[in-house]
Amino acid sequence: MSDILLQAENVGIRFGGLQALEALNLTVRDKELCCIIGPNGAGKSTFLNVLTGTLRPTSGSVRFLGHDIAGLPLHRIARLGIARKFQIPSVFPSLSVEDNLKVARWGAPSPARPVGELLELVALTNRAATLAGELAHGQKQWLEIGMALAIEPRLLLLDEPTAGMTPQETLATAQMLLRLKGEFSIVAVEHDIRFVRALNCETLVLHQGRRLRSGPFHDIETDEMVRDVYLGRR
Amino acid sequence: MIARDRNWLMIFAVCVALAIIYPFFAGGYQLTVIRDALIFGLFAASLDFFWGRTGILCFGHAAFFGIGGYIMALVTLNDAIPFGSLLGIIGAVAGAAFVAAIIGYFLFFGGIRGSYFTIVTLAMGVICQQAAVSWSSVTGGDSGLIGIPPIEFDLGGLHVDLSQDLPSYIFVSAIVAVTVLALWSISRGRWGTVLTAIQDNEVRAAALGHNAPLRLLVTFVLSAAIAGLAGALYVCMAGLVAPDLSGLLLSTEVIVWVAVGGRGTLLGPVLGAIFIQRAQQTISSFNPSLWPLLLGCVFVIIVFVLPDGILSIYARLKGLFKGGRRAQ
Repeated sequence: MSDILLQAENVGIRFGGLQALEALNLTVRDKELCCIIGPNGAGKSTFLNVLTGTLRPTSGSVRFLGHDIAGLPLHRIARLGIARKFQIPSVFPSLSVEDNLKVARWGAPSPARPVGELLELVALTNRAATLAGELAHGQKQWLEIGMALAIEPRLLLLDEPTAGMTPQETLATAQMLLRLKGEFSIVAVEHDIRFVRALNCETLVLHQGRRLRSGPFHDIETDEMVRDVYLGRR
Repeated sequence: MIARDRNWLMIFAVCVALAIIYPFFAGGYQLTVIRDALIFGLFAASLDFFWGRTGILCFGHAAFFGIGGYIMALVTLNDAIPFGSLLGIIGAVAGAAFVAAIIGYFLFFGGIRGSYFTIVTLAMGVICQQAAVSWSSVTGGDSGLIGIPPIEFDLGGLHVDLSQDLPSYIFVSAIVAVTVLALWSISRGRWGTVLTAIQDNEVRAAALGHNAPLRLLVTFVLSAAIAGLAGALYVCMAGLVAPDLSGLLLSTEVIVWVAVGGRGTLLGPVLGAIFIQRAQQTISSFNPSLWPLLLGCVFVIIVFVLPDGILSIYARLKGLFKGGRRAQ
């Protein structure tokens, strides 16, 4: 059991009268890749906010390497080794691509990857001097993944990493993540099914704040119930 | 980026050269005019170091100038305190930094940013001025304190006596040059880059492991400390301290100096302070009440039309000719 990195147990959260999440469990092992999918409003982003400690669950607990992280300041959570990519690309628009990655490295307790290697990983080597605000949407998303990598995370949480991307960019992103698999744990929240299919990993399906199914993606994809609530709506 | 650094250093070198040759052409009175303008330039640079890099406007920066001035005055006017000038400067810097640390701690760690920060600091300035007026047993009330002696101290065998025009001019110029250069090297390096990142997106910077409130607080304290230093220098040169030095008018003026000179350039605000004070003297000689009116108008125009300062006109024109590409 020692290789458990992140454990969410019986997590529930209420916003006023709305039960946004109910009795969710998730175990992320070291160097494991998993996906959380579900239709709009299923609670994916809320669950991710709970996993990163930005939202405190009203019931249940989230433990990272055995520590309760709920309510810690953001920079402390980052220094524990949790990196996060936000849903809306949040890069620093008035800094160059290179400076964005530098700022990310400076925040890390012990950055290992040099900026050049990060640029290569996210395919932005020839845009290093460009202001991040002038990048195309997909490149911003990649830059943000690069920034998340710069802090040498134990766990990388991605909130809809392919939102707004072209199909080619989506597949390139999936390949990027598959290359990184095995270096650290990755949890991706997505609703682009092509992306999740390309990753082909352990998948948790949320529906109305509850667990609908969980298991390997090919089991999920063939599940009638999942098709009804989610895949069928495509 | 590198070309920009080279440009800045070139302009800095030209300014230093001008400051060196100026005494050969100017008389004693003109030297003291420039000297006092340079002190206010240092004050403007201190505000720019905070405002320019964090994007957060402090509307009560004169409070720190005034605190520095009053501490300097009280220390040097007290005969019981030895090494009055040196201890006074140290006390002025430490006092301003201390007040900024307390106020800044609650504001930054309480999540106060943007206009709310501006409003709170505006109130802080008003409180300081009111305290200076009301606490008359210590501060001398409305009329302030007079008879503050010029700076004089011995440091490692070097005797510094600033009662004459030329030595005081050289001393002030050197301090301004060294401080501006130091602030510039801080703000272009790692410290400044992270501050720009925090200005862009504070939550993102925090999620990368940066302690944003602490970094803002340290920047604010450093900025206030330099404002305190400027206040201490000023009262010794002027020989008096009065509640106006921590007042709303000075807080507004310093914002205009920075805005006109170019926010974030550090050197621009110093030049802005010198030129605007020059204009103030000319205009006030026609009609003393005209100046605050004009100042207010300039402020409004700058905010609406040229938020990046007069210097940005050049960058904008260059941008126009480059086929609408964003000017850098």
